[in-house]
Amino acid sequence: MGERMLELQDVRAGYGEQEVLKGVSFFAGRGEFAALIGSNGAGKSTLLRCICGLLPLREGSIRICGRDTGRLSAKERARLVAVVPQSYAVEYAFTVEDVVSMGRYPYHSFGRRETPEDARAVRQAMEATNTLEFRGRLYNELSGGEKQRVILARALAQQPEILLLDEPTSALDLHHQTEVMELITRLNREQNLTVLAVLHDVNMASRYCGRMILLGEGRVAADGSPSEIVTKKNMERLYQMKLLIRENPLYDKPEITPVRVLREEQTDHPLRIHVICGADGAVKLLEELEERGYLLSAGVVNEGSDDCVICRALRIPHVEIPPFTPVTPEAQEENLKLMEDAEVILISDLPFGQNNLANLDGLERVKGRIFFHKNALSSDYTGGRLVERLEELGRKKKVVYFGDHDEFLKKLGAGLEDGGSRRREEPCR
Amino acid sequence: MLILAVPACLLLIWLCTVMGAASVSAGEVNRILLHEIFHFPVDMEGISEGSVAIIRDVRLPRVLLGFLTGAALAVCGACYQGIFKNPMADPYILGISSGAALGAAVGIVLHFSSGAAGLPGTTLLAFAGALLTVLLVYAISRRGKRVPVSSLLLSGIAVNQSLSAFMSLLMLFNQQSMEQIMFWTMGSLNGKGWNQILSILPYVLAGTALLMTSARELDILLLGEETAVQLGVSVERVKKKILIVSSIVTAAVVSATGIIGFVGLLVPHVVRLFTGPKHRFLMPVSLVFGGTFLVLCDTLARSVLTQEIPVGIITAACGGPFFLYLLWKARKGGTA
Repeated sequence: MGERMLELQDVRAGYGEQEVLKGVSFFAGRGEFAALIGSNGAGKSTLLRCICGLLPLREGSIRICGRDTGRLSAKERARLVAVVPQSYAVEYAFTVEDVVSMGRYPYHSFGRRETPEDARAVRQAMEATNTLEFRGRLYNELSGGEKQRVILARALAQQPEILLLDEPTSALDLHHQTEVMELITRLNREQNLTVLAVLHDVNMASRYCGRMILLGEGRVAADGSPSEIVTKKNMERLYQMKLLIRENPLYDKPEITPVRVLREEQTDHPLRIHVICGADGAVKLLEELEERGYLLSAGVVNEGSDDCVICRALRIPHVEIPPFTPVTPEAQEENLKLMEDAEVILISDLPFGQNNLANLDGLERVKGRIFFHKNALSSDYTGGRLVERLEELGRKKKVVYFGDHDEFLKKLGAGLEDGGSRRREEPCR
Repeated sequence: MLILAVPACLLLIWLCTVMGAASVSAGEVNRILLHEIFHFPVDMEGISEGSVAIIRDVRLPRVLLGFLTGAALAVCGACYQGIFKNPMADPYILGISSGAALGAAVGIVLHFSSGAAGLPGTTLLAFAGALLTVLLVYAISRRGKRVPVSSLLLSGIAVNQSLSAFMSLLMLFNQQSMEQIMFWTMGSLNGKGWNQILSILPYVLAGTALLMTSARELDILLLGEETAVQLGVSVERVKKKILIVSSIVTAAVVSATGIIGFVGLLVPHVVRLFTGPKHRFLMPVSLVFGGTFLVLCDTLARSVLTQEIPVGIITAACGGPFFLYLLWKARKGGTA
């Protein structure tokens, strides 16, 4: 990591009575691209305000390139640190070039006005951000993404050692978010710029930043690479909600999928339900059933499928086999064992083929009621053997066909009607 | 276009010197100016002593004082609109005008006639009143080392109102002085001479020069104070400098001429429409336009009616509608 570009030691700061930062310490080396993440009010923006001199420290110290910020003049600091805030409007008719040129202010003094060096820095900054072509246009008339690139150009014109970004993409659409992040990544790589970015999008932080610093309650709660920080434990504590974490196959970085914050209505009959699944189709159903309080089990799932991910995430007992392998008699034996106590067997919307038809073996023996999702018939790759098997099963045991998950959930809620003797135990109204 | 504006302004100023109740011909005016001001050996035959006195001691100083006043107010207005980021800011926004008026009113009521440096006592009291008011507003709005512009604006309004109330009270109990006080508050260049020019000239020259050194900082402040800090501007120091310098310049001007409104508000806005927001251009052009505008208004003030009209009335009467017209045009065009 080498040279310490930014060093925070026990930084405490706040507004009025309220102390927001309660002792933050970390350091960043040259060329690092670190994300600051944390929930609203954790102190991310406050920390940036301290580094760029907008908020005085109560205790502790911040050193930039080895120099204490308390001893730097405003201009000296602006030559070391540049800030890119959220894109904002300017009420006055400045051109793009005017705005970018303002980044040269820290290099000016009373006797020294614009030099060729300034002109070169402004030009380079605009070239690096693809803003040169509209340098004569009014800043106000630009789109959000263009404005943000101009602000980035202004920061580069400062020729800083450290670039601070305060939620630089939150006002932009997906295209421009990606564009701005790619630009910053490129600058980080090509100019070896040290970047510290407040990002509220964890997936974006995980994808672009080599390091993530998680702030919680005014302290550093965790600090490390994306795979160390984006864990179920950290993220659920951060967002106070149910979420899933999986590897994004494209970038090889962990990614979160928010699941739910509000709780579903709870069932007062926690039936045991076994879901026959295994591909990618049962995720939503499994999550919803689990949320409502049913006791679940599942099988036989292929490793790496979405159904497998959610079974692991929700800790649902399940039978797992390697991907693209047939359901062996042993696996099905285990599957049947899980079904033993189930009151409901749900055959989910699952594409059936030669490999997984064995999921239906031995279902005649189980005592639970069998529900079958009709969609499975339209993705039947067994050459008619699925239908034969269902007919055979239907002769020995009743199979209830249903059209969609909501219908199924409603049936469960109604206490399974004919078979639902337990439901009737409720006091009559 | 802007380069052409300077000679045009000079021409207008000259025209205003020629125009007046006592008819002195243009050729005579030129000869008097060359002879009396620039000490050129010009043939003065055929020009009466009276004409020379009118041009040299009355009309020329009046035009020059008008130019200085208008220029100073316009430059201070441009700076205030910059640091307050508020289009309604003008040099009087911190209560300078009512402080000066109260000082002048006290001077008038007490018949405080003994002056100094050739200036009447009311002028000195008005100057003191103006500076004390700004100090008060500044002290009220200070938060530790910082002076937030929002609290400056609010306390400026509050102090303005209370001082105006005091002055009304003073007028109520001294009805014999009421007319004089009223006339003072409406601003006038009538009866002012070289003494006033010499007394405000150093403030205006040094003040505007100092203010113009902050053009770059003022540009950046238009993007907001936080951005300015991040770009390395010592925001509080720049604000203090501009507040102090503008206050002293405005106080000097107001105490010499009374409250001439609208110049400091209107001229920077109009100029901005032509030069854009960059203070490097905005301030010098405001200086020239502000000066010329006030000279024009004053010429109207002394020539439309047989009776002299306070120039403050003319500036407001001309400036208001013109300003509205510009706003209306800007709204149609989509930019302001």
